[in-house]
Amino acid sequence: MKSLLMKEFKLAASPLAYIFLVGALMTLLPGYPILMSAFFICFGVFHSFQNAREVNDVLYTALLPVKKSDFVKAKYAFTCIIQLCGFILCAALTAVRMTAFSAAAPYVSNALMNATPVFLAFVLLIFAAFNALFVGGFFKTAYKIGIPFLTFGIATLLLVALAETLPHLPGLSFLHDPAGEKLGAQFAALAAAVLVYALATVFACQKAKKRFERIDL
Amino acid sequence: MSILEVQGLTKRYPSFLLDGVTFSMEQGRVMGLIGRNGAGKTTTLKSIFNLVHPDGGAVRIFGLEMPRDERAIKQRIGYAGGAVDFYSRKKLSQIVDVTKRFYDDWDDDACRKYLDAFSLDKNKTPRELSEGMRVKFSLTLALSHRAELLILDEPTSGLDPVSRAELLDAFLFLKKKGVSILFSTHITTDLEKCADDITYIARGKLIASEPLASFMGTNAKAGHGETLEEIMVHYEKESLYEKLADERV
Repeated sequence: MKSLLMKEFKLAASPLAYIFLVGALMTLLPGYPILMSAFFICFGVFHSFQNAREVNDVLYTALLPVKKSDFVKAKYAFTCIIQLCGFILCAALTAVRMTAFSAAAPYVSNALMNATPVFLAFVLLIFAAFNALFVGGFFKTAYKIGIPFLTFGIATLLLVALAETLPHLPGLSFLHDPAGEKLGAQFAALAAAVLVYALATVFACQKAKKRFERIDL
Repeated sequence: MSILEVQGLTKRYPSFLLDGVTFSMEQGRVMGLIGRNGAGKTTTLKSIFNLVHPDGGAVRIFGLEMPRDERAIKQRIGYAGGAVDFYSRKKLSQIVDVTKRFYDDWDDDACRKYLDAFSLDKNKTPRELSEGMRVKFSLTLALSHRAELLILDEPTSGLDPVSRAELLDAFLFLKKKGVSILFSTHITTDLEKCADDITYIARGKLIASEPLASFMGTNAKAGHGETLEEIMVHYEKESLYEKLADERV
């Protein structure tokens, strides 16, 4: 498994997987749907899958003395590591917005989603959608990436729309509140999202293993 | 001792059936798997390597069962395809560094020796190599983990005559070292130079699997031809002229 993960980083990964981590900086943009940062982080991982397909990574790995299921686990591990790096960057920038820049005028008057633990919760939900819809969809064929990515893109748009709409509904304005008055509730939402992310990823990985086992290469 | 036993291998596709192919291979032999394009050679090799899932039959390698003992078997075999290239923009040294981690018996000295012998520059990338050199690199990877059986899918297709001759020389050298080689081809002259045995598949069915000399002798006596090419044409030729001339079509 360790060797497979090393293969992911050294041979299969596209540099764009690392470069698109810069997308986390969108967390700092006022008047912008900052959840798109999660989409761009996933977009970098998508490029790695595309690169892996073009360099025959699947066939190369199938020839190695490894279990096919370990190959799937390594792909998920690579994806989760990139997502974890992206999440840490988003979380650090969220902390900066909620503390050092909490009184900054552009953020105080920001009409769109603020950087709060709820934002981080939605970041995780977008990551979970990527792991289930894109990575899981990829392992149906181990070469088709267009439809799985389109499905993930639609899911992302719906999640962004939901995240931007919810705080405007009666009684839910605290979701948008960067002042930290209902920080406990916001962290509870984040904790729930961590659970959803973990369950969705584990479930998607198990399903992908079964799908990949059935494929003729 | 049989190093490879294939029993009743069957694989169904919507427009093709690999129909109960059975053959075996002895240690230290070179076996050519022949047949025209689309005969089922690649399906047979991929089924042996568990890259495709057979609908029936059994494959035993070194007395171990595929797919049950897949990992143990793959430690001891190597596979190379003629047209496939991996990680075309990575340096050969990077590919070697990653690949070696998967094998218990990886031999760095052997790797250096084969890279030198095949004139492979480890700072080059696969996309900078000719097709023949890419096959040699695949062979280097296989031999560096001391593969006892090489399964090669059309390794000589698309190569110039000199590269083909060099590759066949390499096969003969490896055979002397006790390495068994199963390679598919439709270039019959390659087999006449280096194969001990042939397995012949036509339209998904096994026509013959026996020592090359006996196959040639039997077919010569039956008047099917003096060369492998003539024998293949005898078994396979469909009269395209008659098909084209058929006025009902």
